[in-house]
Order: sequence, then structure tokens, then C-alpha cells
Amino acid sequence: MGKTTYKRLKGSQSFRQRLLLSTLSSTPIIIDEIRADDMIPGLLRHEMSLLRLFDTVSDDCVVEVNETGTRLKYKPGIIMGGKNLVHNCALTRSMGYYLEPLLLLGLFGKKPLSIRLRGVTDDPKDPSVDTFRNASLHILKRFGVPSEGLDLKIEARGVAPEGGGEVLLTVPNVQTLTAVQWVEEGMVKRIRGWTFSARVSSDFEHSMRFAARGIFNNLLPDVHIFNDHKSGPQAGKSPGYGITLVAETIEGCYISADTTVSCGRTDETGEVDEEKQERKPAEDTGVEIASWLLQEIEKGGVVDSTHQGLLFILCALCQQDVSKVRVGPLSPYGVETLRNLKEFLGVTFSFRPDPSTATVVLTCVGSGLVNLSRKLS
Amino acid sequence: MAADELMPTHKSHRNPKSGPTMKKKSENDKKKRGVPDNKQQNPRAFSFTSADKAKILKLHAAEKEQKRIHLPTIDRNYGDPPPFVVVVQGPPGVGKSLVIKSLVKHFTHQNVPEVRGPITIVQGKKNRIQFVECPNDINGMVDCAKVADLAILLIDGSYGFEMETFEFLNIMQVHGFPKVMGVLTHLDKFNDVKKLRKTKKRLKQRFSTEIYKGAKLFYLSGLIHGKYSKLEVDHLSQFISLSLIKFHPLKWRTSHPYVLADRMEDVTPPEKIQMDKKCDRNVTLYGYLRGCNLKKGTKVHIAGVGDYSLAGVTALPDPCPLPSAAKKKGLRDREKLFYAPMSGIGDLLYDKDAVYININDHLVQYSKNDDEIGDPTNKGKGRDVGEDLVKSLQNTKYSVDEKLGKTFINLFGKNIISTSSERKLEEESSESGDDEAEDCVMDVESSDGETKQKNEIHGGLLRRKAIFKDEGGESDAAMGSDQDDVEGEEDVESDGDESEDGEDDSASDSQELDEDDVEEAGDRVLGNISKWKEPLKEKGTKKNLNLMQIVYGASGSSATTEENDDEDFFKPKGEQNKNLGGAMNVGYVNADDCSRFINYGNLKNWKEKEDCEIIRNRFTTGDWSEAALRNQNSVPGDEGGDFEDLEAENVESGTNQNEDSEAVERRHQKLALRAEFDANNPTYSEAKELGYVDKLKEELETRKQMNMLELNDLDEDTRIEVEGFRTGTYLRLEIHNVPCEMVEFFDPCHPVLVGGIGYGEDNVGYMQARLKKHRWHKKVLKTRDPIIVSIGWRRYQTVPVYAIEDRNDRHRMLKYTPEHMHCLATFWGPLVPPNTGFVAFQNLSSNQAGFRITATSVVLEYNHQAHIAKKIKLVGHPCKIKKKTAFIKDMFTSDLEIARFEGSSVRTVSGIRGQVKKAGKNMLDDNAQEGIARCTFEDQIKMSDIVFLKAWPTVEVPQFYNPLTTALQPRERTWTGMRTFWELRRQHNIPIPVNKDSLYKPIERKIKKFNPLVISKKLQEELPFTSKPKNKPGRKRPSLDVRRAVVMEPGERKALAIVQQLKLMNKVKMIKRKAKEQEKRKEYEAEKAKKEAVFKKRNREERRERYRTEDKQKNKKMRRNQD
Repeated sequence: MGKTTYKRLKGSQSFRQRLLLSTLSSTPIIIDEIRADDMIPGLLRHEMSLLRLFDTVSDDCVVEVNETGTRLKYKPGIIMGGKNLVHNCALTRSMGYYLEPLLLLGLFGKKPLSIRLRGVTDDPKDPSVDTFRNASLHILKRFGVPSEGLDLKIEARGVAPEGGGEVLLTVPNVQTLTAVQWVEEGMVKRIRGWTFSARVSSDFEHSMRFAARGIFNNLLPDVHIFNDHKSGPQAGKSPGYGITLVAETIEGCYISADTTVSCGRTDETGEVDEEKQERKPAEDTGVEIASWLLQEIEKGGVVDSTHQGLLFILCALCQQDVSKVRVGPLSPYGVETLRNLKEFLGVTFSFRPDPSTATVVLTCVGSGLVNLSRKLS
Repeated sequence: MAADELMPTHKSHRNPKSGPTMKKKSENDKKKRGVPDNKQQNPRAFSFTSADKAKILKLHAAEKEQKRIHLPTIDRNYGDPPPFVVVVQGPPGVGKSLVIKSLVKHFTHQNVPEVRGPITIVQGKKNRIQFVECPNDINGMVDCAKVADLAILLIDGSYGFEMETFEFLNIMQVHGFPKVMGVLTHLDKFNDVKKLRKTKKRLKQRFSTEIYKGAKLFYLSGLIHGKYSKLEVDHLSQFISLSLIKFHPLKWRTSHPYVLADRMEDVTPPEKIQMDKKCDRNVTLYGYLRGCNLKKGTKVHIAGVGDYSLAGVTALPDPCPLPSAAKKKGLRDREKLFYAPMSGIGDLLYDKDAVYININDHLVQYSKNDDEIGDPTNKGKGRDVGEDLVKSLQNTKYSVDEKLGKTFINLFGKNIISTSSERKLEEESSESGDDEAEDCVMDVESSDGETKQKNEIHGGLLRRKAIFKDEGGESDAAMGSDQDDVEGEEDVESDGDESEDGEDDSASDSQELDEDDVEEAGDRVLGNISKWKEPLKEKGTKKNLNLMQIVYGASGSSATTEENDDEDFFKPKGEQNKNLGGAMNVGYVNADDCSRFINYGNLKNWKEKEDCEIIRNRFTTGDWSEAALRNQNSVPGDEGGDFEDLEAENVESGTNQNEDSEAVERRHQKLALRAEFDANNPTYSEAKELGYVDKLKEELETRKQMNMLELNDLDEDTRIEVEGFRTGTYLRLEIHNVPCEMVEFFDPCHPVLVGGIGYGEDNVGYMQARLKKHRWHKKVLKTRDPIIVSIGWRRYQTVPVYAIEDRNDRHRMLKYTPEHMHCLATFWGPLVPPNTGFVAFQNLSSNQAGFRITATSVVLEYNHQAHIAKKIKLVGHPCKIKKKTAFIKDMFTSDLEIARFEGSSVRTVSGIRGQVKKAGKNMLDDNAQEGIARCTFEDQIKMSDIVFLKAWPTVEVPQFYNPLTTALQPRERTWTGMRTFWELRRQHNIPIPVNKDSLYKPIERKIKKFNPLVISKKLQEELPFTSKPKNKPGRKRPSLDVRRAVVMEPGERKALAIVQQLKLMNKVKMIKRKAKEQEKRKEYEAEKAKKEAVFKKRNREERRERYRTEDKQKNKKMRRNQD
């Protein structure tokens, strides 16, 4: 007991989840061979930024990175939370990258978390902040997270590469999460959308909206897409536009799809031209995302493929009751999550494929994680 | 009959028809029947008088009601409950073992020669009891209090309460109060009936004040032939079984798994011990799992040893199973089982892969002839091998003691098939047989579990039979899915899985059909090893791929660094790649960390109408009935059709299912359905107007039913994987590398407690607790004096710092704990969740007279640092004053110190505030000493002023904790750790350091001598004449004013005379009164003296009495200690 025993891991895969689960289960970890054979070895900038974020939110955590950045030693501290925290995210990944672990981390803190993140708000790789606001937070509520104090406020947009966006995330504390029985997807009753444009003409938004609505016309009349044209300091530093679509079902499931197009210049001049040539018209982007949303709906499940990871972690963090959820075909990220959950929390899911709908029903017994850092009053 | 005839016939009893007896009886009768008595003494007494009063009463009633209500907790024990732990505790020599022996004898008709370790017995159709005798030292008491479900406190009636009882009560109170029952023994030592009755009453009163009003206290009046009387034991046992029915779950226990080991084996390879006697040992501990489910990979704490990770966990067949739930009253004699491996009386020892039957020496002689008669039922054809083995064993000369038993594990463990005798063991032995084979063929690590392998064997057998059915099912599924499978690769993947699943289902169906066959096959298999190896081998090569295996891989975790493990790890991922089709780089260790998985490439053209039609029903604009169908199909257990399926799977998983459990299942299902119905129709459920608590209770009940339904849906193997081992299973825990002392000094009389550790509880940090010195502990506790705490499962020594919270949220350090108040204690140690209680000791030795528990406490929070401040007051004097600036000396010792305090505020005694500026060395002369600070004040100060600086430096809490390793030393030796200041001073003969300045001295104040007032000449001149000092020469003759004679007027003279007379009168009166008063006082004093004398006398007598009894007690204790 005197010496801390570290869990040894390899590679940079599922870096966020490893850090998150290590912190929640207070297991110290050592990650070896992080991109050891790559051209750019070691931890990347966003990963370092994430480590800093963990350091901001928690107290007494020990992070050691070797010179090349290929080896990380992480000893989790106590999650403190707190108000008026600020974090500057690295611009290599968007806010979605940081928000995914931060949401869960904030739930199990000592004090309610209120943090201001600065950087890129939207990019095509990670879920956009609109998705978080309108889909992810609803998933949390399902698990007994109180809705007051759970909010994401977008104060400024920022698109890659320069960023400049700003969001304010507030997460309340919970004692435990309650297990869910969430197998019914229900029928889609409404589709809502959010488009934004920053430092570009709002025409992009209009054409995206128009195109997206065209796809849904066959299926549902209740489609509403809001636009959000930003200018000035609220628009961040780079030009770009994006769209987020969320379908809400009668059972309270939120299926989302989003993307962002950045019109900005990159540092390497060679890439600029290529990008410009490749860039699709805004209508195509709208059609693509609308189709993607329909694809997600077709796949079934109570969440979309992007949120599978979040859903599984939430199930695993519940009280020691049985959670049952239905998802569409497992995404690679979801599978990775399941493995990590077994690794850190010892939570094993059982699967029951449902052939008639091509979905999978997952069952697990929660790990019974309790927010221990909360003070007894 | 004859006697009856001879007897004269008695008059039959006639009920009285009138008179007082009849009145009384009729009244009683009315009361019994519940007829209300309308006649009230004072009808106005309970009428409505005041609205305010009524309101208050109502409020009071409501408050009382709310106080009664507890927050309902969910009970997550789904299987048979583990045996209840009944701890029998009492001071030495009170008859603990005898009580256990009598109770065991009563329940099982077995004689226990010696009580060592837990004794498990089957007490009723649904109850089992584990008796534990609490050892006399405080460590054992602490461990016992942590596991007890019911504590029987034995009290020597002839002696009265002893400290041990109260200590144990206090320990239990802190660790969650289980049920408590008191038993008075040694009551036969009273000769005087009246005294006995009085003592009983007194003890009962004391007992009930200590626990709760109406706490049960039993009397065991005396011994008959060295045993307690049968009737009294019978009563006691009845109350034990009654009080074990309902429990309030204790929070710590329901959230942590724990095992009270009833058997321990050393399984270190003997060569290793031969090489090095002091080598670290591998031990296995056996016991029922309690608390909550135990998952593989949980870390455990062995009380008194330390933290270990479990090297292997195996569920063993229950050595003391509950009887089958047939409808009958009471227990048959053969069901009154009994298991006490440490006491060495149970004939059977169950190990992971074998069952050892302890046969007495004289039985060994007969067993050759005996084995034919032994088990007529299990007589198959191919049992020759086992028989031969057993016979060959019998031929060897050995004595059946435990030591040799241990060597058997190593020598013959692989070969013995224990099918020799004992009908009861059929099933278990078949399992064990399976496991051995698995050992031979696959060489699988023990931790992977025997049940899994067993299942696979079953699967292997089944697979052959199910092949023809299987194909049909598969093609069916494929047919069904082909239609909607257009091009999406994910769909293909899931279809594949589904077909797999179909295969499984059909397999299970077939199993249901011919389960008997399978069992037969199993029996046959048992006899002949070579036969049943074959399917196993087959099984080994062919793997049944389902989604679970795809996701989790066939084995292991990715966390280990061993090369071979990594290979295992990669394999499934490759498969995963293939199956997910385009799942890109999941197996790649440096894969991109991105939650989104998008390839827009294969998007359908959703503009087309027919494409839209596929998902039309997923929208509210579609067909609602069809959409509802989709959901219904998917929710298993919603329809009647699924019910059969469920049952089939149950049959597959459990071998000894019967109608009763099915009925239970059905009931659960009904409940769940009802709950669902209620949830769907809120109007219906709301009509009942339930209270909040009732609603909560109902919610929890539904949740429980849901859990059970879902978990029973899984097969045994997956279930253990998903939820861990259930409470109530008999487990074998293998623990590696424990110190050899644990084995060497193992004492079966001391309970071995193995407790699971939750997340983050193996980390160390600061904890803040609300602590109160125990009111019976004589001294206050000193900050930084080590205390021994028992917290969670652990016991360790730590160094606390006491503090109290000031109004401004500052935690001010206290040198000593307050006497009758809570204070905060901050200490360093392994973390426990907030709201965990703990108890503190200073000394663990058993031969101290006082109360050993020093404090009780509850953890409030934990933190990585402690914010405790202490007050310091630096005192200085001015050495030079320049207007509002002053140079202060004696406050600091160096300029560096001043730099630290720059800007802090100072003040003088008179309240002039100021600020420390800088070191004032350069402003004074060159040879000024260091540590003179320049301060500025709001006004000029004086040289005689004293300047204070008040500061709050943080106090460091020592990072010290020392686990108590009481199991690694002889139990009778007292554990010693860090010593307190007092002990150290006493041992080294160091006096308490005294600061002379802190001593109180009589204050000597010199009388100030003031010089005469001198007024300067100039001033004198300027003064007005009246104020000027006048120099008059002294007069020789007094002035006229003095000298003149006064002659009174006649009226004046008269008045004066009267006044004089009155004065005289008054004087005489006063003298008289004084004399009277004195007389009275004298009288009073005399009376008082008399009273005092009487009081003194009585007091002395009392004291004498007390001293005498004390002396007697001391002598008695000494004698006992000598014994």
C-alpha cells in the first residue's frame, strides 16, 4: 500500500477515457509507447491540453511525461470542480474532445463545476458544442443528473484553425447515478437543427437549411432549423460554418448529426488550395448531414453512434443495479469504451442482438461508483 | 384408566354469575373483544379546547411520524442469503463457548468438543446461522463487531457488567449497530432469591438504557450436568431465530463485499517452504460471501494482515446447503447440517477441485467392505478407476489429520476422483471431476473459474446434438434478415451475430428437451476420464464466437505488460476488425481518440421515396401500430411467448431448479408487469394517493424485480462476469504472497475477516472527521499523540491533529480535545467514504483496567491537504520612535523573517494599529542587531508600549499511518506501535518541560513615587491671583474664627438635647440587637456543626464501603489474570 501500483497501458488509443476512468476509479496509470514509432512521437498538443484540464479540475494529481512524450505517468487526484475556472484548449481538436470527459468528471466532483473553455468550438472530427447542448446533456438527465446547473452556454464561436470560441460549461454534482432501462427508441416526433456561420456570409446557413429541410420533407413536418450568424468578436478568429441536427423521439431519445466546414487558411500554403478546391457547396453539406441523421435513425438505438461511448460509461457508473440500453450497431469507439470499462471498473456488459431491428441490447450491472469527495454536511 | 376410575370425580368449574370476580372477568372479556369502553372518567378531558394547541399537537404528531420513517434502501441480495453471523461476546470466563455448544447441540443434535472458528449450521428451512466466538482481546472484538448480524452479549450476573461489554457495544455502535441480545449467566451463584431478583432488575435496567428501551435480556439460570438447562436454551434459540428475520441494512456492509473465513489453507509449494521457511506464502481462504457482490479483480483487506489482490476466486458448492424447498414442516434430521472446518469436526472438506472426507481411523479399517453398501444409487459401470484409486489410497497407511490433508492436495490432487461414498456429494463431485480434466488438458489458471469450463463441456456435448436443428435456425434468421439488408456493412455484422444467437437459443432449447440425457451422459462421463476428454479437446479448438467475445476478446485485459497477454489481446481485435467491416484501426494501440465514426461514403440517397419508406415507421407520421410492434419484439419478457424462452434458459443455467423457483419467477414477472402497467397509466397509480416513502419503496421493489429478471435471463457464466459472485455463495479466495507469520501465528479462535476495498479506498490521503472523546475515557487527547483507529475494514495507527471550526471558517488547531464537545480531527490514512464511523484506541493491551475506547468519530470528508491553522502572537518592543514610525525589536530574529511578514498588521496594547514595513537595519546605526522591523502606526506610540503581531500559520498534519499487523504476531502479545508523549516521557523519565514564562506568579506592583509638583516661576507669574501659590507666614495664635465661643439660643439647646437623647436611644437599641443576633448565630452554628458531623460520618462509612468493594474487585481481577 505504501507504494502506488500503476496500471500499465500502451499507446495513445482512447486516451481521454483512460484518463477519465483512471480518475474516477482512482487508479494510477502509466501509458507507454505513445506514438513511439510515429513521425511526431509522443503526446500531441491537445492531449497535453487535456492533461492540463484534468489538472485544473482536480487537485493533487501527478502528471509526469518523459522527454519525448512517449511515456505518461498519471496519478489521479481528487476531483474538486469549482467556479470560475478557465481552460485554453489546444486548437488541434475542438471543444467536443474536451467536453466528453469533462462532463462526467464534473459530475463526481467535490463542488459543482463551472468552467470556461476557450478554443475551437466546432470541427468535423468531434461532436459540436450544439450537439452537446442539445443531445448529450439530455442523455445525462436520463441518469438522474439534476437539470438545474447542467448547462452549456456558447458565448463565442470559433472554427479551426484559429479558434477563438468560448463556451461556459456548468455541471452539478451527483451522489450516484441511477440505473436506466432504456430500450425503447420511440418514434421521431420532431427534428431541430442549429446552423451557424462565423466570419462568412449567412447565405451558407440558408442554403444548408434549405437543403436539409428538403430531405426531411418526405418524412416529418415538424422540422425547425435555427440559424445563428455571428460576427465581430463572437465569431472567433477563423471563418467557417456548420450544422447540427437533432431528432427527438417520443421516448425522449435524441439522435444527432453535425458537421462543420472551416473556410480558414492553414499555415501550410500548399493545403489551402487543395481544400478550397475540395470544398463542397453548402447545399451538399446540408444534404449530407440530413442523410446522416436519417442513417442514424435507421440504425436504431436510443443514442446515435457518437454517443455510444458516453452512454456506456454512464451505465457503468450507475448504482449496482441493472441498466439496459439499446444501441444500433456498435461503433469502434463504443467497443473501445466497453473494453476500457472492463479494464478500469470491471464492468462487463452482456449483449443480446435483436435481429428484427438490427440493434443490440446491452445489459450491465453498474459499478456502484459513489461521489466520495463530496463533503458530508 | 384404572387410576382414573379410582379417583373421586371433581366438581366441574362453574363460572361466577355475579360479584366482583364476574365484573372483572366480563370487563376483561370486553377488552379482548375490542368492545370500546364508552364510559369515560372525564369526558371533557379530551375534547377540543384550543385551535393553536391542536395545531401544535398535529405538527408534533406529523414530526414524530416523519422521524419514524427511514429512507428505504434497496436490497441487492438475490440468491439464498448467507448464514447470519451470530457473535457471542463476553468477558473471559463468562461461558461463551458453552452457550455456543448448547445452541449447536440444540439446533443440530451434535456435540462440539471445542469451539474454534465459525460454526455454520442449518437452523431452519430458510435460515442458516454461523456462530462466532468473540475473542477477548480488543482486536478480535473489533473484527467481530464488523461482521456481526446479531451479537449475544454474555454478562456474568453474579459479577455485573464488565468493561468488555460496554467496549463491544461502543465498537458496534460505530461500525453499524447490529441486533443485540443480552444473556445473564452465572445466576446460580446467588443464594438469596431477593438479591437475585434485585440484581436482575438492576442489570436489565442498565442494559436497556445502554441499548434501547426494552432491549432483551435473557437469563441462563445455571448449569445442569455442565450444560445450560434445555428449556432456557430452547427459549434463547427461539429468540435468536426470531431476531434474525428482519434486518436494517448497514451502509458500509451493503456497499462492500466481505468474507468471514471459516477455513484457511496454506497452498505454498512445499519445496518453497523447505528452501526458505520464511518465504511468502500463498493461502486460500474459504467462506460465505456477504455484503455485496464480489467481482473478480477486487482488492481485499485481510484484517490484521494487509491489502492484497485476489489471485483467484472460485465459487464452491455450498458445504452447508439449505434444504430443498419441499412443502413440509420443519427440518429432517439429515438436513440439520453442520460445518465447522476449523473446529475439526465436520467430516467433509470442500476444496476447489476435490472434496475430502474425513474418515476416522476405526472406519478406515471397514471401508473396504463398506464401499459397496456406501452408495447404491451411483452404481454405474465405469466407476472402476475411481474405486481403484480410493482403494489404493486406503491401502497406504496414513492418518487423517489436516496436515496430511494438505499434502494430498499436492500429491494426489489431479488424480483423486472423490466419488467414493456420500450420496449427497453427487453433483459436487461431478463438477470437481470436470475441473480436474480441464486442468489436465488446457492448463487453465484457477482464477478463470471452474463453472465456465463446465459450461463449455456442456456446450460441447450439446453442440453435437444440436447440429441439425441449428442449421434450420440459422438459415431462418438469414432469410429474415436478407430482406432489409441492402448494403450497410454494419447490418451484415449484426446479422451474423444474430445467427450466432439463434444457434445458442436453439441449443438451449434442445437442452431443455433432453436434459435428462445430458445428465446421464454426465454421469457416464464421470467414470471414464478418457471419454470425456474428447469433447473438451474439440471444444478447445472450436470457439463459439458471440458478441461478448468479440468485444472483450477471449481472455484477459490489455493492461498487463506481458508479451503473451498482448498477443491474446490482439487476436480478438483482428476478428473485431473483420467483423465490423471498416472498423478501421480499433486494434491499433495508437488509434485516434475520436468518438465519431463517420464515413459519408455509403450514404443512401434519402431523397428517394422508397428509401424513405424503410424508416417511415420510425417517425410519428408513420404507422404507429407497426412501430409499437418493433419495440415489443425487442423487449424480452413483454409477451407471453417470451416467457417460455426465459424458463428454458433458466433450466440451462441452474441445475436444481424446481417448481417453487418457477413460481417465484412468475410472481416476479407479474410484479414487474404490474409496475410497468402502473408506470404507463399514471392516473391509475395516482388514485391510491401514496406517500413519498411508499412510492420510493415501490420504486425500489420494481427495480429489484427488474434486476432479478434481467440477471436471471443471463446464463450462469455471463452472470458472474456481469454482476460478480452473488452474496451467499461459498467462495474460495486465493491470495498470494502473504507473510509467513500469518500462517505461523494463525489462530482459529480469531476471526479472519476479508473485506473488499472500493474504488479509491486503497489510496491514502487526509481525512477530516468529527470526533468526540469518549465520556468514559478519563483523559483528554493530545494533538499529535498517536491513536489506533478502526475504520472501515482496517485498523491502523495514525497521528491526528485536532481542530475546531471558527466563525470565519477557519480551522483552528487545538492542543487537546475538548472535554464534552465534538471537535475536528484531521489525520492521514487510507481513504474511506464520508459518513464512515470509526473508533479510536490508545492502548490495546488487555490488562488495563480503564475503558479502552478513547474516542468515537465519523469521517466528514477527505482531501489532499489539511487546512488547519494555529494562532501565534509575536511580541515586540519599540526601540526607537520617530513620529508615527517605530522600530520594533524582539519580534523577529532575522531580517529574512521580517521579509516574510512585510505588510502584516500589528497593534499595540492600547489598540493603535499599524503595519510591518521592512527591516529597519539601514535606517538605524550600522552595528544594530538583526531583526529590527520598521513599522508605521496610525498614531505615535510610546516606548513603554508592547507591540503584537497576530498570525495564523498552517499546521502540518503528519503523514503517518501504521497498519496494525496483529495477525502476524502471536495473538496474546499486545501490538505496540508509535508511543504517545506520555509513554515516552515515562519510559525515559523525562519531566514535562516547563516554560518559566508561562508560570503564574504573584504580581508585584511597586507603589509609584511621584515627585512634588513644581510650577515654574514664569507660569506662576502669569497665573491669576487666586491660583497663585501664596506664601503666608505661619500663625502662632489660632485665628479668631477658631477661638470664638458659641452660645446657643434656648430653643436650639432644647433641640440639641433631644437629638442627643435620640442618638443614645438608638445606640442602646443597636447594642441589644447585636447581642441578640450573635446569640442566634451561635445557635445556628451549633446546629450546623451537628449536621455536618452526621454527614461526615455517613460519608466516611460510604467511602469505606466503596473502598472495600473496590479492593475486592481488584483482588478478583488479579486472581483471574493469574489464572
